[in-house]
Amino acid sequence: MSFSEKFVAVRKGLLEFAVLRAIAGETLYVADLLKRLSGTEFATQEGTLYPLLSRLRRESLVDYEWRESDVGPPRKYYRLTESGKQALSELQGYWNHLTHTLDRIGN
Amino acid sequence: MRKVTLVSLGGNTYQLEDGAHEALAAYLDRAARVLAANPDRAEILADLEQAIADKCDSFLGKHKNVILAAEAAQIVREMGPVQGNGSEDAASQTAGPGAPGYASGTEPAGAGTHAELPRRRRLMRLPEEGMMGGVCSGIAAYFDFDVVWVRLAFVLMLFVTGGAWLVVWLAMLIVMPAARTPEQIASARGEALSAREVMDMAKRKSADLGKAAASGLRDAQRNLRETFGSGS
Repeated sequence: MSFSEKFVAVRKGLLEFAVLRAIAGETLYVADLLKRLSGTEFATQEGTLYPLLSRLRRESLVDYEWRESDVGPPRKYYRLTESGKQALSELQGYWNHLTHTLDRIGN
Repeated sequence: MRKVTLVSLGGNTYQLEDGAHEALAAYLDRAARVLAANPDRAEILADLEQAIADKCDSFLGKHKNVILAAEAAQIVREMGPVQGNGSEDAASQTAGPGAPGYASGTEPAGAGTHAELPRRRRLMRLPEEGMMGGVCSGIAAYFDFDVVWVRLAFVLMLFVTGGAWLVVWLAMLIVMPAARTPEQIASARGEALSAREVMDMAKRKSADLGKAAASGLRDAQRNLRETFGSGS
C-alpha cells in the first residue's frame, strides 16, 4: 500500500479544511477553487466540490454571491461567513494540536 | 455523418453528437440519484449542469459547434463522480458513493485517474441485516426491493416446492459472499445502474455482438472459399 493510498481517508477528511482555507484567503468561484487545489494533495473535482460547498452553506460556514462574468453567465463567488471564520480557526487550532501531539508521541 | 441532439444546459443550447448526449445525460441521471436525499439537490444539479456547459464551451469554437462523444467522456471524467451529501461520511449513505475507489475525488488527478467507471453492485449476503444468513437482505439490496417481499417470496417458494427451496437457500448461503466490512456493504448496496446506463450497455454490447457476428461470418465465408473454392 503506497503512502498516498494510506492517507486517502485523511485527505478526504481534510478537504473541507483545505476548502475553508482557500476561501478564507479570497472570495473564489468554483473553477478558481479547483485550480487552486489542483496540483496539491487536495486536488478535487466538481462532482465532489459542489455537494461539499452546498453542505458548508447549509451549515452557514460559507456563503456566495452572484457576480457577472465577462465570458459567460454570472458566477457564484464563495466567501467565509463569520461562523465560517470561527470554525476555520477552531479547525486550525485542532490541527495544530494534532500535529503537536504526533510530534510529542515519539519523544 | 452522425446525428446530433440539441440540449439546453445552463440556459444555452448545445449540440451533442450521438454518444455525447448519452454520456452527459447518464452523468446527470446518476448525480440526481446520488443526491436524492440532499436538501440542495436542485441547486447542486443546476451547478453541475452549468459546470458541464462551461466545459462544453471550451470545446466549441467558430468552426466547431458540436460536442463529440470523446469530448463528453472527457467532461464526465473531469467532473468526477458526484458525492452524496458532500461530507466525509458519504460512505454511510445508502446511495453508495462511498464504495471503495469511488469516493476518491480527493485523489490528485495525476495519481491514477479515476475514470467514470460505474461501480457495479455486487450480490452479497448482508448477515448483519438478515434474519438468518442475510441472503434475502443481500438480494433485496441488489435489486432495490424491500426485504420483506424477498422473504415473503422465499417462504412462499418453500411451500410451493415442498421444502426443496431450502436447498436453493442453502446454496445461496454458501455461494453468496458475506458483506461484513463497510466497504463490502457499500459494494453490496453499491450504485445501481440507471435504466439509461443499462440501455447504453445493451446498445454497446449489441453493437459489439453485431461486429463479432459480421467478422465471424466473414471468417466462415473465407474458410468456405478456401476449402471449396480453391479448386474452381
